[in-house]
Amino acid sequence: MNQTISGCGIGLRFSHIEQILAERPAIPWLEVLSDNYLVEGSVQQDYLLEVAEHYPLVMHCVGLSLGSVDPLNQDYLKRLKALADQVNPAWISDHLCWSAVHGMHTHDLIPLPYTQATIEHVATRIQQAQEFLGRELIIENVSSYLQYKDSVMPEWAFFSEVAAAADCGMLLDINNIYVSARNHAFEAEDYLSAIPAERVRQLHLAGFEDRGTHLLDTHGYPVSEPVWTLYETALQTLGPVPTLIEWDNNIPSLAVLLAEAEKATSILDRIGKVA
Amino acid sequence: MDLTQLQQDFAQALFSTNTKADVAAASGYVQAQGELSAAQRVGIYRNSAHGILSQHLAALYPVCRQLIGEQRFDLLCDVFIDQQPPGTPYLPEFGATFADFLKQHEALKTLSWIVDVARLEWARHVAWHKANQAVSDFAQLAHLDEQQQAALCFSLPQSAQLLHCCVAADEVWLAHQSSDIQQVSAQLANIQLENETYLIIWRQGRRLQQSRLTLAQWQFLQAVQQGVTLEGLSSEFQAEVATLLASAVQQGWVSSFI
Repeated sequence: MNQTISGCGIGLRFSHIEQILAERPAIPWLEVLSDNYLVEGSVQQDYLLEVAEHYPLVMHCVGLSLGSVDPLNQDYLKRLKALADQVNPAWISDHLCWSAVHGMHTHDLIPLPYTQATIEHVATRIQQAQEFLGRELIIENVSSYLQYKDSVMPEWAFFSEVAAAADCGMLLDINNIYVSARNHAFEAEDYLSAIPAERVRQLHLAGFEDRGTHLLDTHGYPVSEPVWTLYETALQTLGPVPTLIEWDNNIPSLAVLLAEAEKATSILDRIGKVA
Repeated sequence: MDLTQLQQDFAQALFSTNTKADVAAASGYVQAQGELSAAQRVGIYRNSAHGILSQHLAALYPVCRQLIGEQRFDLLCDVFIDQQPPGTPYLPEFGATFADFLKQHEALKTLSWIVDVARLEWARHVAWHKANQAVSDFAQLAHLDEQQQAALCFSLPQSAQLLHCCVAADEVWLAHQSSDIQQVSAQLANIQLENETYLIIWRQGRRLQQSRLTLAQWQFLQAVQQGVTLEGLSSEFQAEVATLLASAVQQGWVSSFI
């Protein structure tokens, strides 16, 4: 399968797989949650290999725990590489965060303190992962609900410096920028303008929930209007970038998901076709 | 700042049986901002991690959740998550000990049959996630001499889960597959709950299968799973061995031999 990634894709969710295989809707590419397909020879992999015959794929992970102080999980890396060897994704991404320590796995995405020491720590681990996987890793910004007392720089500076030190790609989640900007009272546009456009490989769009005291990144709702607006700004700032609609909770019908992707496509087309 | 200590304190706050003290310790790293205190901000992560894991357990144990009640089930999940947090990055592995946890829970002591339903739901989950493997050509058995046949070892599919339940857990599970509450109630009313049952759950291709076994079938498949040779099986099951083996192969409960 030709793995050219352009235009607007959707996140592949298990509840849609049979419909996608039966109807083969015109979706330019799919992002798969790697962690759901890590058992070799499983029925999940069986489905995914069939999907890979028809659609370009990218792999998105939540389990590398790149910011953790634990050593990188070699078993996880091996499984990830084996899966990549089978489905030949255009790229593999994970998050700029930590999720496990001392054998406790939170299965959540917890932010890191933004310090020079953390930059060096995470960049080294990204390099190790890239070396093991034999390919560039794409790193995504997470939503955050707290700021550490010891942070000495804004998130966008931390993110950019990690990417430069590790020489990796960036996945910019526009919804996460909006959520964090609201939660920590910074200007989302400042974030966007500080990002090195040449490193950005992909954008994410998703829905959040307003909890009154903070915005929560639930991936359970349509993309909100202010996030669509910020998406336009991102495209104007960064140029055209392949974009993905992410939806993980209260998963809607495939038609609803495709309609969201269609909306993103129209914005992307208006601002500039993806090369 | 010590990143190791920060992560350890944070994880301790997310999975804690002493929540207030552990959240307070993690809050020491966090700025208070706007309407939310540092502890409330740590609490958002605690709720988020518990939410992700509770959602996983609810998806794994949907019938148990109906039997126990959603609110009570979610509270039990919170306790379980604090006591036995995930130990691997593979989320499908989390929840293996939930049935044992329920068994120990004082409030469920009089509803111990729910534990069997939980074990059934876990067995279905495990069977679904196991790898496929090749099926042997059993016609080849006819070409083996007597000595070779005696030394044969058979295998169940990797997905196969053998389950012994003290109650008719399979019927309770089946009754709850309907979304019509009246239909569920009507079916439950007809179940002889105290019936001891023997079950096999396995996957054929992309389909999960579940069958009730006789005691002899269950014992036979257990012996196969333990690697007993055909000679050993013949000695244990005597005249029944041919019928037991033939039906097991036909049903797909025995899928290969070496």
